[in-house]
Amino acid sequence: MTNTQDTVAGRAGPAAGRRPRFGPRRRPWVGLLFVAPMLVLFLLFRFLPAIGAFFLSLTDYRISGKWDFIALDNYTRLLSDNVFHEALLVTITYTVIFVPLTVLLSLGTAVLLHQVVWNRGFFRGVFFLPYVTSIVLAAVIWKWIYDAQDGLLNSVLGLVSIGPIDFLSQSSTVLPSIAVTSAWKGFGYSMLILLAGLQAVPKSYLEAAMIDGAGTWQRFRYVTLPQLRPVLFFVLVIETIGAFQVFDAMYVMTGGGPVRSSYSLVYFLYDSGFKYFDFGYASAIGLVLFLIVLIVSLVQRRLVGRDD
Amino acid sequence: MAQVLDRPPVRPVVEAPAAGRRTAGRLTLPTLLTLTAIVTIVPFAAMVLVAFAPPSGQTFPGALNPANFTLENFSKVLSSSDIPRWTVNSLLYSLVSVALVLLFASMAGYAFAKKKFPGREIMFWAFLATLMVPFQATLIPSYILVAKLDWVDSYWGLIVPTLANSQAVFLMRQFILQLPDELFEAAEIDGAPEWRIFTMIVLPLVRPVLATLGIFVFLWHWNDFLWPLVIGQSGKMQTLTVGLATLQGQAVPINQLMAGATITVVPSLLVFGLLQRYLTDSIAMSGLKA
Repeated sequence: MTNTQDTVAGRAGPAAGRRPRFGPRRRPWVGLLFVAPMLVLFLLFRFLPAIGAFFLSLTDYRISGKWDFIALDNYTRLLSDNVFHEALLVTITYTVIFVPLTVLLSLGTAVLLHQVVWNRGFFRGVFFLPYVTSIVLAAVIWKWIYDAQDGLLNSVLGLVSIGPIDFLSQSSTVLPSIAVTSAWKGFGYSMLILLAGLQAVPKSYLEAAMIDGAGTWQRFRYVTLPQLRPVLFFVLVIETIGAFQVFDAMYVMTGGGPVRSSYSLVYFLYDSGFKYFDFGYASAIGLVLFLIVLIVSLVQRRLVGRDD
Repeated sequence: MAQVLDRPPVRPVVEAPAAGRRTAGRLTLPTLLTLTAIVTIVPFAAMVLVAFAPPSGQTFPGALNPANFTLENFSKVLSSSDIPRWTVNSLLYSLVSVALVLLFASMAGYAFAKKKFPGREIMFWAFLATLMVPFQATLIPSYILVAKLDWVDSYWGLIVPTLANSQAVFLMRQFILQLPDELFEAAEIDGAPEWRIFTMIVLPLVRPVLATLGIFVFLWHWNDFLWPLVIGQSGKMQTLTVGLATLQGQAVPINQLMAGATITVVPSLLVFGLLQRYLTDSIAMSGLKA
């Protein structure tokens, strides 16, 4: 292929391949200029803090800006800090309650929407509605719903002579109550993902199972569910990662109480940083959080393997 | 297997009970669906009812008679709190971020998809890798950085650090990757300046993604809590979400609190009402999370 052919073929089509004369190779700075604004933002506000978090966690950085290198002291301190143990336990307990709750709720509503054609768009909208609001709004509404004196839930329970139950002031009910609030706020997202997954299950599989005499439950259990596995897994991981980062709802609804029974890891991080100004220690908590999220993602990679 | 092969002749007999069950299902499933929908909507309905209820009637199941509805709670909460200022802050935080994220992300997405430059692959994967780091894990260093820049309690500190949005870059790159190279090369041959190619060819072509992404970025910022909480330290710099949490902590009467809550949710509802299809379709397709 000669140079003349190359330039002539310039307009002609794919046969010409890479056209050095006009191709992007000629002016590499153009590409760099286009990435530049985002690149600067990333270097400053994503990479620098990510590296900074690691180094800060090895120091006793205080609000004055003074710091000493203290190696792994923050981490050994975490290991023996009861507040950290409690916060970790609260976060895990919350995750164990929240994830099955929200996944079952999303799966249930997705299956219902998939089965019932009647007003599907309308119902989908209703279930999705809480998702576009903030978790702060959800927390404010539900705090009132749970109120022992004149809350909505206790008023309803009062009609059947139950309660009043002070949902947010008892260590046994506070985490489930917050989990219900978060699930209400967020299930619309996973529902949409699962609904798309359900709609992607080939009709022919279900028909074949029906001809073989499989009932509704059997078709769901042995055809739909296995087909849905990757999507279900994605939802499970997303919700688990989200649950480990819980903070807003607890900050608004309980302030971490009663007696730290809703005091999560991120709450602990927030307090360490912005109440006690113990920035190095707070960064170490952040790194623990990062490791947990990383492990959850890696486990997902492992389990789902290549069908992702 | 043999049984299955035998089946076709007796099919109507086998189908009959199944059909009966399905009619029953047709009735119970919609009922279940309707009940779930009612439970989902009740907290919103209660919020709005309490917001409009007369303060004297207090709360549920007290005076929820529509004849007594009043705007008193709204005027009281508006005058006793900084809600107008918080609304301006929230709007600035959301709208400026939407505009800048869309611009910078489509520029970067275009370069990653269609331009060759040194370090392109590494940069792109590094962008993606930051998706793995939870925002809270870098909260402290981000705050220290903003403090060093003297941006705490300012719009700069609120907005600029949140513009580094890797999901947006990723989405734009994936979309632009599908556009045929010839479009851009033809313009290059005609001698169009790079910036004109971007504004006249790239931007119009990516309009559908811009719309979807714009909605999501708006909701991310409008509903964001932790970053505005940390950065907006004076009352004047709080956003609506932080302000609402502040109101909640100040033991404001419940009617006024719900009036405030109703105000904060209006923009989200507008976005939802106008663009619901866009939102739901794009989540189903790309898994974007607001």
